[in-house]
Amino acid sequence: MPDLLVNIVTKRPNFFYHLHPPTIPAEQASFSYTFGLGGLAVFLFLVVAFTGALLLFYYVPSAEQANDSIQLLTYHVPLGWLVRNLHYWSTQALVIVSILHLLRVILTGGSRPPRRFNWLLGLGLLLLLLGLDFTGYVLRWDVDMGWALLVGTNLVKEVPLIGGGLYRLVVGGSELGSGTVPRFFGWHVFGLLIPAAFLFGWHLFRVRRDGGISRPKPRPGRRSDKIGRELLLRREVLAGLIAGGILVILSVFFNPGLGAQLDPTQVIGEASAPWFFLWIQELLRWGDPLWMGVLIPLLLLILLGSLPYVFDRGEEGGRWFPRDGRRAQILAVSVIILITLLTLVGALR
Amino acid sequence: MKVQRGILLGTLVLLGSLVLAGMRELRPEYVSYAGNSVPVGFIPSLTNEPEYCLTCHEGIEEISSAHPVEVFGCVSCHGGEPLSLDPDKAHAGLIGGRNPSDFNVVEEGCGGEACHSGSPEDHRDHIARSLTSIQSTYAGAIAQVRFAFGAQEDQSAGYGIQAVRDPLVTTESGVPALLAFETTLAQDPQPVQDFAERCLTCHLYAEPIPEAAYKRLTGCAACHSPSNFMGTYVGEDPTVVRGESGHAAQHRLTTAIPYTQCNACHNRGNYSLVDMTFRPRKDLPQTQRAPRLQDYYQPIAQFTLCEWELDCVDCHTSGEAMGDGDLHSSQSEVQYVQCKTCHGTLEEPPLTYTIEDSEDLALRRALLNPSIDLQVGDTVLMTTLGEALWSIRQLPDGRWIQVGKATQVEYEVPLVRGSACGQNVDEQESRYCHACHAVERP
Repeated sequence: MPDLLVNIVTKRPNFFYHLHPPTIPAEQASFSYTFGLGGLAVFLFLVVAFTGALLLFYYVPSAEQANDSIQLLTYHVPLGWLVRNLHYWSTQALVIVSILHLLRVILTGGSRPPRRFNWLLGLGLLLLLLGLDFTGYVLRWDVDMGWALLVGTNLVKEVPLIGGGLYRLVVGGSELGSGTVPRFFGWHVFGLLIPAAFLFGWHLFRVRRDGGISRPKPRPGRRSDKIGRELLLRREVLAGLIAGGILVILSVFFNPGLGAQLDPTQVIGEASAPWFFLWIQELLRWGDPLWMGVLIPLLLLILLGSLPYVFDRGEEGGRWFPRDGRRAQILAVSVIILITLLTLVGALR
Repeated sequence: MKVQRGILLGTLVLLGSLVLAGMRELRPEYVSYAGNSVPVGFIPSLTNEPEYCLTCHEGIEEISSAHPVEVFGCVSCHGGEPLSLDPDKAHAGLIGGRNPSDFNVVEEGCGGEACHSGSPEDHRDHIARSLTSIQSTYAGAIAQVRFAFGAQEDQSAGYGIQAVRDPLVTTESGVPALLAFETTLAQDPQPVQDFAERCLTCHLYAEPIPEAAYKRLTGCAACHSPSNFMGTYVGEDPTVVRGESGHAAQHRLTTAIPYTQCNACHNRGNYSLVDMTFRPRKDLPQTQRAPRLQDYYQPIAQFTLCEWELDCVDCHTSGEAMGDGDLHSSQSEVQYVQCKTCHGTLEEPPLTYTIEDSEDLALRRALLNPSIDLQVGDTVLMTTLGEALWSIRQLPDGRWIQVGKATQVEYEVPLVRGSACGQNVDEQESRYCHACHAVERP
């Protein structure tokens, strides 16, 4: 019996092996090269998707019942709190891990040809992820997110020419109201999730297609150790176990907030964006909403997207801080530091 | 091998975290209050929405027989989130914190046409009367202090704690509206400003003086949910911290208000107009209640036996305490019960009135106090303004029996007519009675 089990789990080339290349270079498979960030993001994405699917059984996407249905789930459904808390914590972890993954890639030259396009796919994925996080936050339909919803959706109006139409498309009406919850629900589980799942698959496919994880070009006389996919899979299982344990512990001890039901016709509560948009809230304090809330974030995004096309045209990838990529490295780190500082200022305010 | 050991360790981490999750599931935080590890819910008939408040508050007293919990539940009056089992979330949006009768929120907590903001004809205008009464406007004291320091020309009320209007003035002394006291303060003389800063602790919007013996809540609950001497809760709700001050003694609304509750504001001292500070009575113990007779009146006062044996509410009517619906310049304009209201005079017996139907106000009020067994057909005493003194009932043999509303002690009410009283017939106010009938303080 144990032999059979060992066979199934380790010997036979099962489905999970097929997702991996037969071997990968040992140097690039080391933890200090990737910190396992990409793999961790995959794991977290799957946890978010699975817990999200479970939440669908109880969540009622209507302004009258959304908040109550979350309470019902949290306090009265067996282990409902665990599902909701895991969904929350794995999402927040996914945002952070994705940003760190982005930094790792740019700082190791991983976005250089032939991986430039995958860099763009990754950025698109991050953008969709933030959208999913924000729409999920709104689905609580509580007073705590009222201000963020109001300001966030009003920013859409600032977009020149198409702002008004875009607003109605996003919000489901000419103002926030009972139509907003089903609309955001639609965006959350369909309009954003389907493209995100698609990009997720594409992004992973492109990793394999572009020759696996980025590494230096093989040179004569240089040894290149490799590890097998069995070991790789075991490392992934190990990372998944530890990450899963941490997520469950976070979920046991820290609950995501849930305020009183939102009434959009009433004065909306305290000004506070969700943590991942605190930097935009901070920018908005400084000036014109079109510039601070729409154009500057857009320019930062374009800047990040253009890094491998304009600022980092080197060829050598696969090790930390390649010299010929300094400009891109400095720009990327500066953008992340800027956003982090703005976030901290907003959080400490 | 290293990875395999790691996987073993990782499995332990995950299993450990799952054990923690299982513990939280089996022993949720709310177990610590009433010991319930599964939610305790019920559906009050008035709202038809489930409430789980009793999961933690199990054992709490029913607020009153007029508000049965199976009808009203908790949320009708308190607000909050009835589905939640998390203390913060459950109490989000509570009306007036712990006290939905606080005058800042009373309309939301106790109002509604079928409840306590109905019409005067139905005697359901409790909130309107309370908010216009001297106890909440403090208009008398404000007017007199402003007059004393030259800020106004007479003693008629112009300012209250809050701005308030009375759309229908029904008495000669009533005023149509009061402005908020704070709006005039900047122009008032310094002593009036000192008064505003230091002396406004007696009206029903205000928190009381933060010391033992002054304990009361605000709003309706100031009188109707009596506190004990230390302001601690002694009921059965397991969530209330024992020994913590600032609570009513129990989660109860009552019309059987003991004199001790009135004394939390009255009879504990006076504000000195010289330096605008409160001067507490020095003849009372600080750590416990004084004996009833000592507690009763300030040394200068004259009072009779029934005035310290009975409770304040046994003589003073709802119209006197909660007001007649008009805004007045002095409590004396609404205080009209005299000795003769119950005892009559040499020439006249007291006014009486026979209960004729089951919707009678006297009957409705008596129902709230189980110690008084009033029936249709009973005859009770009545004041000159037609308020029934429903705790004083005539026996078949013609004698009058009063039941103490708070004490449930029975007293026979003697009439002046036919007694040996030698008082002049045109001197029938209480002060003349006190001249002979006052008791000595010990």
